Amino acid sequence: MRWQPLLFVGLAAILCAGGAAAGERFYYLGYEIIQVIDGDTDAIVADIPITGASREVALSADRKFLYVATNRHLVHTVDLTQNRVVATIDLSNDGWDRVMFGFVLDPDGKTAYGGFMSRRTAGGEVVIGGPVVAQFELETGRFLRSVEVPWGVAHLVSVKGGTTLYAFAQDLYKIDTTGRELKIAETVPMFDRMMNILPFWDYAFDNGGVASMNYYTPEFMGLMLVDQKTGEISEIPLKGDPVMAYSVVLSPDRKLAYAVMDELTVIDLVEKTYLESMPIAEGTCYAVNVSGDGKKIYAGGGGSTLTVYDSKTLKALKVLQMASDGMDIRRVSF
Amino acid sequence: MKKKIIDALNEKARAIDRLAEGEQKTAEALGGPPAMPQGCTTIFDTGWETNPRPTYPTGNCQSSARDFHGCAGDCWWPAQVPDGLTNHSDFDVACPNIARDWRNLKYE
Repeated sequence: MRWQPLLFVGLAAILCAGGAAAGERFYYLGYEIIQVIDGDTDAIVADIPITGASREVALSADRKFLYVATNRHLVHTVDLTQNRVVATIDLSNDGWDRVMFGFVLDPDGKTAYGGFMSRRTAGGEVVIGGPVVAQFELETGRFLRSVEVPWGVAHLVSVKGGTTLYAFAQDLYKIDTTGRELKIAETVPMFDRMMNILPFWDYAFDNGGVASMNYYTPEFMGLMLVDQKTGEISEIPLKGDPVMAYSVVLSPDRKLAYAVMDELTVIDLVEKTYLESMPIAEGTCYAVNVSGDGKKIYAGGGGSTLTVYDSKTLKALKVLQMASDGMDIRRVSF
Repeated sequence: MKKKIIDALNEKARAIDRLAEGEQKTAEALGGPPAMPQGCTTIFDTGWETNPRPTYPTGNCQSSARDFHGCAGDCWWPAQVPDGLTNHSDFDVACPNIARDWRNLKYE
């Protein structure tokens, strides 16, 4: 019976070798690479080679696959157990050169939606396709249906079980997916309300189903929270001089939010004001995330560092030197 | 024929004139090929990085290198950095880490 302990040791070694063991992993979305950080040790435990510059991410319902969009036209399927890309589709197909801004999965797990601009040449002339939000197959990249939208869609959020898509542009377009054809069911004005938003980071699955983005008016910064279950949109104007931030993530208890650009800023969601703001020693960061227990903050991307902070003291606990610059840092709990 | 609108009056000016003989244009205003790529303005965020802070850090991104991929990949500043959507979609292969790899930047 001496082999039994050895078997357990062997299994533990396999699980700790970069595979998806119980706990949480942070995925640093870089350029030609994704790096996996263990949430307990804050050490890089795996490198995942990938083609292109990472942009948007979606997580499968079973949390086994991460879909990573790169170069605005490739979608890679990353197996989180094996830590490798197992499939890639190119959305520049059927003669069209496409760029995708906004990417969400359909609940069927087999298709996804993106916001697209397209172009091709015909007879030596440039042909520009109308901007659309379109549904496509994840396995083949084949386009199934689309709806024309105004120019400028930069981000999508899927709500109400995928029956509605929120397309963020100068205004917010609510797209009904339930019929045979996609259709814009409602337009929520933002431009006329002087709202300015760069919604590339929303941390919807990290926040447990709430997309979090920051926006600006000439007077203040606000947070826009989208509850994916109900579709409810909460606008939270923040009191005080606005800080500059690319992205914002919620603390697990949703009483605080953390925002980053050149500074790491702590936001009190109850009092709707800023608590503290401090320059990030390594420089500008695009991305911010928080551990599942709320004790650590991760700020990185932009440049090739990832800083781990104590969320209470804002003291830097660790600075990881990453293999590449980065776009985002996403948390997946297993 | 090039219209001569100024004349060299002394030896130093004539030396500069000789240096410029046969010189071809090296810069071109936007508008000629390659054309401005589609997708350079995806959303209304003009002035996003106009930093209102009166004190440190007073600039935009710190350092600017940390914002290079963001500016290039989605083609925010196509005149200043490689445009990642049309002409240099794979520039990141040689330069995944700008602070380390900037010497590998090769684009026109």
